[in-house]
Amino acid sequence: MEQIKIQQWLIGIFSVLLIVTLMIVATFEVKKTMKYAAEIDVDKSTAQCINCHEIEHIAVTQIAAWEKSEHAVMGIGCLECHSAEADDFDAQRCPESDVLIARHPTPKDCAECHEDQVNEFANSKHAHQFWLLKNADRSILEMPIGTKHGCEQCHNITTIWPDGSVGECDVCHAKHSFSMEVARQPETCGECHMGPDHPHIEIYNESKHGNIFKALGGDWDMGYNTTKNEPIPIEAPVCVTCHMDGNEKQPMTHNVSARLATESQATWSYRTVWDEENLGSWEVKRDRMESICMSCHAPDFVETYLLTADLVNLQYNEMRRTFVYWTKKLTAAGIIDRLEADGKFFSNPVLNGWDEVPEKMMYYSWHHEGRRFRHGAEMMGADFTQWHGIWELQHNLVEMITWAAEHGDKEAHKWVNNNHPSKFVPFALYDIPGNAWGISTMVNTTPFVYSYEDYWDRVKSNVETAYNNGVLSEDQWELWMKRYENLDHYLGVKYKDNPEVKEAWNMYKERDAIDTKAFIKEAVNLKLPGKPFGAK
Amino acid sequence: MKIWIKERFPIDYAKFIEITEKIFIKEPIPLHMKKWVLAMGTTPFILFPIQILTGILLAFYFIPSPEMAHESVRYITEEVRLGFWVRGFHHWGANLMIISIFLHMMRVFFTQSFRKPRELNWILGFTLLGLVMTISFTGYSLTYSQVSYWATTVGTNMMAEMPLIGNFLLELLRGGPDVTANTLTRFYTLHVWLLPLAITLLIVLHILILRLHGVSEPEGFKKGYYAFYPSHFHKIIIVTLFLLSFISLLSVALPPGIGEPADPLTTPLHIKPEWYFFPIFLFLKWVPLNIGLLIIGLAIMGIVFWPFLEPLLAKKEKHRTILNFIIGAVTIITLITFTLIQTYTH
Amino acid sequence: MEKEQPEQSNRRDFLLRFGAFGALILAFGGFARHLLVYFTPKKQVVKTHKYLVAKVDEIPLGKAKEITIHGKPVFVVHLENGFKVFSGVCTHLGCIVKWEENNDRFYCPCHKGIFDRTGQVVGGPPPRALDEFKVAIDKNLVFIEVTDKMKGPWT
Repeated sequence: MEQIKIQQWLIGIFSVLLIVTLMIVATFEVKKTMKYAAEIDVDKSTAQCINCHEIEHIAVTQIAAWEKSEHAVMGIGCLECHSAEADDFDAQRCPESDVLIARHPTPKDCAECHEDQVNEFANSKHAHQFWLLKNADRSILEMPIGTKHGCEQCHNITTIWPDGSVGECDVCHAKHSFSMEVARQPETCGECHMGPDHPHIEIYNESKHGNIFKALGGDWDMGYNTTKNEPIPIEAPVCVTCHMDGNEKQPMTHNVSARLATESQATWSYRTVWDEENLGSWEVKRDRMESICMSCHAPDFVETYLLTADLVNLQYNEMRRTFVYWTKKLTAAGIIDRLEADGKFFSNPVLNGWDEVPEKMMYYSWHHEGRRFRHGAEMMGADFTQWHGIWELQHNLVEMITWAAEHGDKEAHKWVNNNHPSKFVPFALYDIPGNAWGISTMVNTTPFVYSYEDYWDRVKSNVETAYNNGVLSEDQWELWMKRYENLDHYLGVKYKDNPEVKEAWNMYKERDAIDTKAFIKEAVNLKLPGKPFGAK
Repeated sequence: MKIWIKERFPIDYAKFIEITEKIFIKEPIPLHMKKWVLAMGTTPFILFPIQILTGILLAFYFIPSPEMAHESVRYITEEVRLGFWVRGFHHWGANLMIISIFLHMMRVFFTQSFRKPRELNWILGFTLLGLVMTISFTGYSLTYSQVSYWATTVGTNMMAEMPLIGNFLLELLRGGPDVTANTLTRFYTLHVWLLPLAITLLIVLHILILRLHGVSEPEGFKKGYYAFYPSHFHKIIIVTLFLLSFISLLSVALPPGIGEPADPLTTPLHIKPEWYFFPIFLFLKWVPLNIGLLIIGLAIMGIVFWPFLEPLLAKKEKHRTILNFIIGAVTIITLITFTLIQTYTH
Repeated sequence: MEKEQPEQSNRRDFLLRFGAFGALILAFGGFARHLLVYFTPKKQVVKTHKYLVAKVDEIPLGKAKEITIHGKPVFVVHLENGFKVFSGVCTHLGCIVKWEENNDRFYCPCHKGIFDRTGQVVGGPPPRALDEFKVAIDKNLVFIEVTDKMKGPWT
């Protein structure tokens, strides 16, 4: 009888166990491998287009691209964009079906749904006609056939269509998938923003931002929505993150000029005045950009970084002034001359033709090196600020003055014969005590100009003048002054004599001495017994 | 109420109750069956109805077509409420059924219960094992994932090795030269209709023969009997409860995966059948296919007809017992070794 | 055969037996409940997306346009106070209604169900008005809300 009791206990225990197990089962969730997704429903007219295009085999991959687009999901078929009236400039009848279609949907068609975006674009400098307004002088070097698939291909982003609308949306929003990922890809911007004159994609790739994107971006969802005033969802920015995307405080915009405070692509750097009525002053635009920067960075860093970049732009102007001085002087002396046609000067005086060395130096120092110097400083492209920037600018200047000396200019001749290091600084200087990254204790020991006792007073008066002329904001002036008043701290001079600093410095000094010894022994003083080869 | 029923079913109720009592309630169970290991045969008998029940449930959602088979398995697993549990039950129930049949067989073999006059029930039992493995194979194929698709392709291809009728059998099973929609519907019919029916009939026969002879009584136990109810009945309930909990836990801890959908154009790098085919799978990797199949066929025949072979090989009772232990041990060690090698070399 | 003598039932025994079998019944009850739940489909959190059905200036006031969504006819009607979009499936027994422009009504040929252009039943057997889609108008565009579907035949 004991056994029956044990069995009853067992039945009770196992029943409870089963109940517990069933409770666990009830709460268990299986991981899903499939999600609900919007299904594409192709409407009648679109089905007709697709059918015929597939039979005739015309642009069929575009159909597949469209099927992947948000448009397809929302029932935006072919004729929603490609419908035409008989007298439209791009009206065409499909040969097989006689359906009237528009060959080139323009921003006007896009504006039917995306009105704000089209307007923002049209009011941005992306849409500006500058390249036609100021192009006459350069077009003489580039034959029309060379420009069709050359400069025009990029600058067609400013196209004024017969219907009056401006731009080409699919330059960035590649048809027909109109994928956000493609539009956000840095290389999309880099299709045009690259090369010697504005190596923006190269600068981006060099920057920490670009590097992080390369390393980790593959896992990011680049199709994110940025119109809802939500935090930026990616760890490092791509081009459009700073120039277009919204964050908690800034709305998303298709006006790339809304956040730019400096015209750093122009012959002279100046604060932006583009569409001030709607976009506000340069300071308002700068605030917009800083707001995006501060999604990731501290205000102090952002302000110091951008102030330094602004001072680079102002420094460029001073160097530019020197180029202009020499070019004008040489022109006045008849050593170089301007292009003429029908008894009139053909070219813009600052461009001045390309047939003599100073003219070329003048042009490149703005259009290539001058931009690289400035844009590198604005977008973390150190190498472009340095070697492709200021180094090349100085090289051009030396080249120009040397050429002038060779062609009989006395002042130039005197410059060439001058042996004082200051000869390479024939212009006023801007500077900022220290940098945005931290405190560097020994850097201040090197620059020659720091040996001038009144160096920082000279710089201060220059910066102050810039501020008084509205080129720097009050906040920027205060930030500069804060650093100026704590010069020893920011320059690191205060810490130079710390034993720890000394110790570290001396160690590297000793190692350097060992290096020097080594190369003198192994290379400089190495004498080979075999005679060099001359005539037998 | 009782009268109402009695009028509709005019049976001698007293007799009916008496018969039921005699057959079920008071069924004499030998005392040795109080030991759990000696009552293993009940486990597959409990699992089979569970398989039938969960199988019927799965059939509510499963669609046997190449386009839909894998998708509907996914749907059951991921979308249907507690679908993973029902499928987990069916999946783990099948595995446990094979394990428990093996254990039951081992018990029968080592207690030498297959001996005269129970030889036919041994053959019947072995046939049941074969049918259960076949039904598992067809069920595995129905999920139509990459592994199951290729296991089906390879498994059915072996049919072709059979002399004379091999190719005919292959095409009959596949409904054509390749694994296609026809194969799927044929396997489905086999899996949900023909094989369950055959297994049910054989189980009835298996138990009928068992009851006619009574449970064989191994030596070394106290002679004596106890009634089916309540002691043995309780035991069945406990085993049932344990199995239900255990399989439920398995379906949560190790839910059956859905795998990649079948792709007839690419064979995956490592294909393998379910674990209970591992010994055969490994053996056929080592020896040429036709020779391997011949050896396996002979081995199976040997096991099936062992009750008749044994008296031919050894005359004395004592020698027979020793022979049995040697043959049994060698077979089991070989099977386990093969399974382990296959498991750990991939 | 070993006889099992019924033991004198004391309270502990009764409780044990009651407890064991109570738990047993609960356990099998829970099991049965799980099996039953298997038949009731899970409620899905379905998302919707906007779908363009017409342009505002394309349908004159009081007129309707027929389109097809997921293989079923859908009618877009331009009314004085905006747009309405109806499923073309009759609410009676699922036949497809027709828009009769000159009669200004939807007509179901199966059992002569009649709906006016606001979708209300005006005659015949239909039990309720035509099913409506949620309409959103964005400038010149008329969108409706359509539910997302799972790839494959399940909805």
